[in-house]
Amino acid sequence: MNVLLLIVSILLYASFGWQSLFYVFFSIITTFFAAKHLQGKYKKAILISTIGINLAILVFMKFIPYTELSILAPLGISYYTLQIISYLVDVYKGKYEPEEKLFNFTLFIMYIPHLFIGPISRYDDMKKQLLAKRKITSNNIFDGLLRISWGLIKKFVIAGRTAIIISTISGNLEYNGAYALLAMIIYSINLYADFSGGIDIVLGVSKMLGIDLVENFNSPYYSESIKEFWRRWHISLSSWLKDYVYIPLGGNRKGALRKNINLLITFTVSGLWHGVNYITWGILNGIFVMFGEKFKTKSKIFNRLVTFIIISFLWAFFIWQDQLTALKMMGSVFTTFNYADLGAQILNLGLSIADWIVLAVFTIILFAFDGNKEKILPKLQNSKLEVKTILIGIMILIVLILGIYGIGFDVNNFIYSKF
Amino acid sequence: MRKFRILIIIVIFILLFLFFTRLLSPKYATSLVEGSMISQYYNESKDHEVVFIGDCEVYANFSPMVMYEEEGIKAYVRGSSQQLIWQSYYILEETLKYEIPKVVVFNVNSMRYSEPVSEEYNRLTIDYMKWSKQKVDIINASMTEEESIWYYIFPILRYHSRYDKLTEEDFEYLFKRKDNTFNGFLVNKNVKPVENLPVQRKLATYQFEDICYDYLNKITKLCKDNGIELVLIKAPSLYPYWYDEYDEQIRNYAEENDIAFYNLKNNVEEIGIDYSADTYDGGLHLNLNGATKLSKFFAKLLKENYNLTDCRGDSLYEQKLEEYKEFIK
Repeated sequence: MNVLLLIVSILLYASFGWQSLFYVFFSIITTFFAAKHLQGKYKKAILISTIGINLAILVFMKFIPYTELSILAPLGISYYTLQIISYLVDVYKGKYEPEEKLFNFTLFIMYIPHLFIGPISRYDDMKKQLLAKRKITSNNIFDGLLRISWGLIKKFVIAGRTAIIISTISGNLEYNGAYALLAMIIYSINLYADFSGGIDIVLGVSKMLGIDLVENFNSPYYSESIKEFWRRWHISLSSWLKDYVYIPLGGNRKGALRKNINLLITFTVSGLWHGVNYITWGILNGIFVMFGEKFKTKSKIFNRLVTFIIISFLWAFFIWQDQLTALKMMGSVFTTFNYADLGAQILNLGLSIADWIVLAVFTIILFAFDGNKEKILPKLQNSKLEVKTILIGIMILIVLILGIYGIGFDVNNFIYSKF
Repeated sequence: MRKFRILIIIVIFILLFLFFTRLLSPKYATSLVEGSMISQYYNESKDHEVVFIGDCEVYANFSPMVMYEEEGIKAYVRGSSQQLIWQSYYILEETLKYEIPKVVVFNVNSMRYSEPVSEEYNRLTIDYMKWSKQKVDIINASMTEEESIWYYIFPILRYHSRYDKLTEEDFEYLFKRKDNTFNGFLVNKNVKPVENLPVQRKLATYQFEDICYDYLNKITKLCKDNGIELVLIKAPSLYPYWYDEYDEQIRNYAEENDIAFYNLKNNVEEIGIDYSADTYDGGLHLNLNGATKLSKFFAKLLKENYNLTDCRGDSLYEQKLEEYKEFIK
């Protein structure tokens, strides 16, 4: 089964551009052989040089954007580079032995479900599952399909609509003030639905194959502070940054000042990982993590609302990728009072009344589900296959009818596959 | 038992899928009726001696009912909007599965188009064709770059966004179709005289593309193989301009292949077309009046030159003729 899985993974990956295979295979081979020497005499030099080579490729691909070579940037490079670094560091630290078989290591990196948008898996966790004897069971298939269907609703029904609004507003800089505020709030929904929808599909496919990948989201917009938000949002990246940047820098072990500096560095790295245009976003997040806890009140709802608004404002750097424009747009919310105009123009932002209603209904469902996940998920998992079949059928029909797809829509265009 | 129950649920969802596909697909019953013309043929009697193929210049200009009344000719117009030459070929191929007419009349206007024009026009021709090898071929030949055959196989993938645009028509014609033509002739009684014709522009080249000749050759061969007389015509529309260079190429082709070609614009006076009264859109298409005149003329021409039966007295056609006369009153 693993042989088939690897072949399918390679073929699918190559279908997005066979040139990418050179980069990914280069990284796999250099890392695999380097790891075998990470307990010897020159282990530190080997570690630094191997990480350096992989980071150099990543930096070259991401920070030199407008060259012909950048067109060849392999998909998922940001994700597999982080997996490679964690593998090298863990082997170096003796957390586990280096992999003996090139096949197993290649499968870990190339495992197609997590290659494009994560989650960023750890080798020791994945190895156990990949090498375990797996059976394709009806329960796994139905659970996987349920998750995929839910992911498709998020991606095509919710994010498909929010993306239209974002595209309309961000495409015209005269849309500022109230429009900018609307864009930031809508983008919060857009990014979450798009990214977590994609992750649901990834986890669903993986579940069908009998592999449980790590969860990447835990109802992030229920967070009461930015610090909590980062424990619930893009969890695999946050925990990677914590383990391989924050803690090696000293974490919170060297006093309050160093802790804050380490936090700031970690979030700057996080911004850089997203791209050079996101450095300010990373730093601002770091600042809110450092000081945000002090402003928490006793009201959960108030804390959640404030956190949501701050996060929405910070997403401005994702909407208007020029940092200065993003800052201007954030400022315009308080200086341009065109809120009445927005009310009159709401139907000229690309969505019909019906689309707005669909968006509102499914956003409420999304948030209601997130808020009651602990109750709903066990019930779902223990429900009969017949119930699961009905739910899958309903969700697929919803996607088919209410999804935004078809001519002019790029189905591969997940926001986080760019990073 | 569990597997059986799951199977039943899956079947129910497939039925729901089919229901929503039907609901969301355009019905072409009372609006955009041009989309219903190709499929109306399937319910008709298959005893036509003359079959027209081509674009709007056939379905707007030739009335089989007039041809029947005047000369007793049983004719059918398998025309559709912007029907491209490869579409005409596959529609003819499909028609020949049902019947072998004595004469096939092809309007050569489509020789000027060597590429798919638009998805909308493709849809009007293809949407309600029955599934067959010809439908697959016509889709593959007609698709624009952004289209995919999957959109034709599963129309819901294309039409799902109509969910908020459904009208009464979509519910009224959910499980039924409406015939909008009389043997493929779409009646239009409006009058819009010819006033200002667009400027006749010079073209970089007047040479028909190879692909058009390829399909014209295929149409010619298909007719010859089936013992059918092929007649090439150019309907008397005033625009888009039919250049002399176009005419010469078709005339040469007809001579080389021993096929008749009639540019009916040369017979406008004889036919009696008055472009101030006989067109509904300023010269692009004839209205009922104009089409009646043209059909009488062309029926006589066919009767004189081809061995066609006088079928007057056929009960089905007499009834259709009565309905037609009632409709055009």
